[in-house]
Amino acid sequence: MGTAAVSARMTGREQGKLTIFASYFSGAGKSYAMLEAAERARQAGRDTVIGLLAGDQWPQTRALAEGFETMPCRTVTRGGRSDVAIDLDACLERRPQLILIDELSHLNADDSRHSKRYQDIEELLKAGIDVFTTLDVQHIESIQDTVLSILGAAVVERIPDHVFDQAAQVEFIDIEPKRLQQRLLQQKKGELLASCSLAQLSALREIGLRRCADRAAQYIRGAQSSTEFRTHEHILVCLSSAPSNEKIIRTAARMANAFRCGFTALFVETKGFQGMPQPDKDRLQTNIRLAQQLGASIETMYGDDVAYQIAEFSRLSGVTKIVLGRSEIPRRLFFKKPSLTERLIELTPELDIHIIPDTGANGRLAARHREVMYIPSLSVLDLLKSTLILLVTTLAGFLFYELGFTEANIITLYILGVMLISVSTKSSVCSFIASIVSVLTFNFFFTDPRFSLHAYDSGYPVTFLVMFLASLLTGSLASKLKSHAKRSAQVAWRTKLLFETDQNLQKARTQEEIVSVTAKQLLRIFQRDIVIYPMKQERLLEPEILLADGTASPQRYTDPKEREIAQWVVTNNKRAGAGTESLSDACCTYLSIRTGEQVYGVVGIAASDKPLDSFETSILLSVLGECALALENQKNLEEKEAAAVLAKNEQLRANLLRSISHDLRTPLTSISGNASNLLSNGDLFDTKTKEQMYTDIYDDAMWLINLVENLLSVSRLEEGRMNLHVSTELMDEVVAEALRHINRKRVEYHLIVQNSEEYLLAQIDAKLIVQVLINIIDNAIKYTPPGSEIRIGWKRKGDYIYVSVADNGPGIPEQAKPHIFDMFYSASNQVADSRRSMGLGLALCKSIVNAHGGEITVADQPPHGSIFTFSVPAGEVVLHE
Amino acid sequence: MNKPLILVVEDDTPIRNLITTTLRAHDYRFLTAANGEAAVLEASSHNPEIILLDLGLPDMDGVEVIHKVRSWSNMPIIVISARSEDTDKIDALDAGADDYLTKPFSVEELLARLRVTQRRLAALQGGAVSAEVVFTNGKLKVDYAAGCAFLDGQELHLTPSEYKLLCLLCKNVGKVLTYTFITQQIWGRSWENDVASLRVFMATLRKKLEREPGSPQYIQTHIGVGYRMMKVE
Repeated sequence: MGTAAVSARMTGREQGKLTIFASYFSGAGKSYAMLEAAERARQAGRDTVIGLLAGDQWPQTRALAEGFETMPCRTVTRGGRSDVAIDLDACLERRPQLILIDELSHLNADDSRHSKRYQDIEELLKAGIDVFTTLDVQHIESIQDTVLSILGAAVVERIPDHVFDQAAQVEFIDIEPKRLQQRLLQQKKGELLASCSLAQLSALREIGLRRCADRAAQYIRGAQSSTEFRTHEHILVCLSSAPSNEKIIRTAARMANAFRCGFTALFVETKGFQGMPQPDKDRLQTNIRLAQQLGASIETMYGDDVAYQIAEFSRLSGVTKIVLGRSEIPRRLFFKKPSLTERLIELTPELDIHIIPDTGANGRLAARHREVMYIPSLSVLDLLKSTLILLVTTLAGFLFYELGFTEANIITLYILGVMLISVSTKSSVCSFIASIVSVLTFNFFFTDPRFSLHAYDSGYPVTFLVMFLASLLTGSLASKLKSHAKRSAQVAWRTKLLFETDQNLQKARTQEEIVSVTAKQLLRIFQRDIVIYPMKQERLLEPEILLADGTASPQRYTDPKEREIAQWVVTNNKRAGAGTESLSDACCTYLSIRTGEQVYGVVGIAASDKPLDSFETSILLSVLGECALALENQKNLEEKEAAAVLAKNEQLRANLLRSISHDLRTPLTSISGNASNLLSNGDLFDTKTKEQMYTDIYDDAMWLINLVENLLSVSRLEEGRMNLHVSTELMDEVVAEALRHINRKRVEYHLIVQNSEEYLLAQIDAKLIVQVLINIIDNAIKYTPPGSEIRIGWKRKGDYIYVSVADNGPGIPEQAKPHIFDMFYSASNQVADSRRSMGLGLALCKSIVNAHGGEITVADQPPHGSIFTFSVPAGEVVLHE
Repeated sequence: MNKPLILVVEDDTPIRNLITTTLRAHDYRFLTAANGEAAVLEASSHNPEIILLDLGLPDMDGVEVIHKVRSWSNMPIIVISARSEDTDKIDALDAGADDYLTKPFSVEELLARLRVTQRRLAALQGGAVSAEVVFTNGKLKVDYAAGCAFLDGQELHLTPSEYKLLCLLCKNVGKVLTYTFITQQIWGRSWENDVASLRVFMATLRKKLEREPGSPQYIQTHIGVGYRMMKVE
């Protein structure tokens, strides 16, 4: 399957509009109406193509279709029958404004990208293409029960309600059932009617019209979003693995729709859940998915007392109505257990409880199913264990008997044995059987007459009964205790995992860290291979792959096809890959890490023989939610920081410009003035004056050159540390280079270079450190009287080289010292044109030295003068001779 | 000394005027070209002895001009660069330029570079440097055949690396050699550690060679670029 078009598509395009031409039976003229509408659209100048039209059309319809461009279709064979499927990629590539696709509810062939046609259509809509489609209303999910009751059989091809409800437009093509019947017969399509009587057609028409009316009513109310509740009602439906549960969910969904209220589906996981047979688990998954599709939020509670858990949940979540199936508990012989419904009524007297009968086509199945669920299986291992324990108990009993202990001791021993059995075995049947067996063995071995099942003493039957009840009770108590401990450990483990994830995520600072923490956590939880794609600027970065064990090669996951699926997930913001309905031939299930519409990455979880159950999915979703939240926070933080840095840079730049424009004016005035004087009346000046003017021009130009050098360094530093071109440099060379550039006034000063050690190497950006030295030495020359002594020295201390520039000038006043490294601070701290320092030099020195990881300080040099010292990292070299 | 013919390649008129004025004032003969194409044409038709080449030309990169000129001629090229990044200079030097000047440069500096190049030319014309058995530069004498060096008649005690370095510099006298070039020649590679080693060897060599290490006579340092052996009269 070529998914090139998938990645080629852009995100953020406006959604296309869906128009559904609905009716209640085939032959009503939906396709014809659709084509007529398309013809109008085409005449209005819209680029219209036919994506797919069902094969058996009426002649008029076929004639009408001939005028349109038709997209090529793929012919696929499914179960021996050939079937046409739309070529989604070709359609996306062609990118018409409007596309016509028949039969919204169609099921796709296995090798298609999506399992259902409405998903194809959703993808087209997402790409900004308008779609016209047709639908028979009996394919809508929520009215399945009614359809079942009318037709006597359920419809296989179904679409979720939201597709129908959220369509931009629905046109119901209505026709009298009688006319429809006539028309079908005329067209020799009577076979379609074979299964449908006139009454059935009328009924279908009625529910179709009603469904459309419901949609219209919703539309008028303007309550399109299910989160805005008009009432304070909140409906709860209980999920189970029973086949009849489907009907209950649908009923509850209809009610929630009618009340326009909150809708929650609750699953209570009991200890029996683990032992539930796989088909039941699958059915539960189907039911959960159905509830989800119908707009319910799924919640899971853990506990053995289902009624109590439901009541507790209802109380906490403000549920007002509970929808239940009528559970028919087979009558017990000895004591009658109150049904779930009765218990619920007792526990939640303030709630409305709606009971839906679960009879009908599936009634028998439901009853059988329940039996299956509650007969615990016996394993050979458990039986062996039980036998062994009973044997040991009996042997101990013999010992007691020989020692002359009373029977009470032996009875206690057996009770202990039963308790041990119930703790060490999985099934509660074992302890039940063990109770009986222990009573019998006790009777057989230890009561008179021994080695027979008879008992002489008239008190024995009572003893046996008490013993049986006591061992049964202790046994069941112990097993309950055990399962509770196990359950609470499991719950604690879940809580701990989520808490840990949260904590680790809080510690992670960067996107990479968050992503890798999430990946590690998922690996720990699921023990499956994890592929995680972070995103930057709407693009997937290279994935991080964590392998659970060494069995799979990472190449499997880096396949471009897998990456395309991940890309598809980003574009469509939907899960895809193995175990889902989209692109299911992948080796991973891909989910997006997102908050709302914003996608931050994609996680792939390797598929295995065992699909993720609802609990695992819920953990996965919460971990991904945490991850998305962390990524969002981190992104916000980054943006905030970037904005702050930008603001600071702006501020700096503004200050710089202000100060430069002031400082530039003075030397430029001098240069241009002197030059213009020389140009216009050069002859008037004597040689000495001229020489003075030339010198001034030269000095000012040099000053400007120096300023430009400093500005260049500033701009390099502003762009960040990255711009340091660090290499190992010899300090002697660096200082010599700096001295070459010192102001020509240097001849009036005594510059002394003294180094303590030869061949000291430093890890520096030579250009910048030369600039630092020039600035400091120039400063010393500027602020000390001619004839002063300036000593430049350097020495190594630890990992740093300390370079000092000392002068014996007047020194720096105490109050100025803290500020001299500030930008735009000048010793005189007032605008003094004669000195022309824009106070950039030392600030720049500080930035450069700090960027190298060093420090710059100033101190007094006794008896007068100052010492500037800065440190830079020392370098090492290995000499090969 | 016979003043050589110099080709000035510079697109900025004031700078070109500055250079030509300076050259005229010092009795140099010169040609001018304002772009790369004209430069290559002038160089091939007039065969100048030295080229002063601005790197930022309107029609092509200066480095390209160097490549073109080097395809047929060995004439010394001094690069003038306004870009303060060292990499431009290094690229130009590695492409075959002999020396460089960074804008803003002083007139004295320009003249000094020209003199250096002239001396180099003179040495080249005196006979191929590399073919010589004995190299003499001021008081420095290197006897390639015997494998030893003398300063002021006294033998210098050099380590093998120092000697190799000295030979390399001598054979390229007057030319700025980049770090990469030197390390490639001596160690056959150019790693971070090699450049650092080079600095130390250069410092020790210099200590043995120079009377006053503070103001070197023979070996010039070009921070961030490389080293050069000066031609000493």
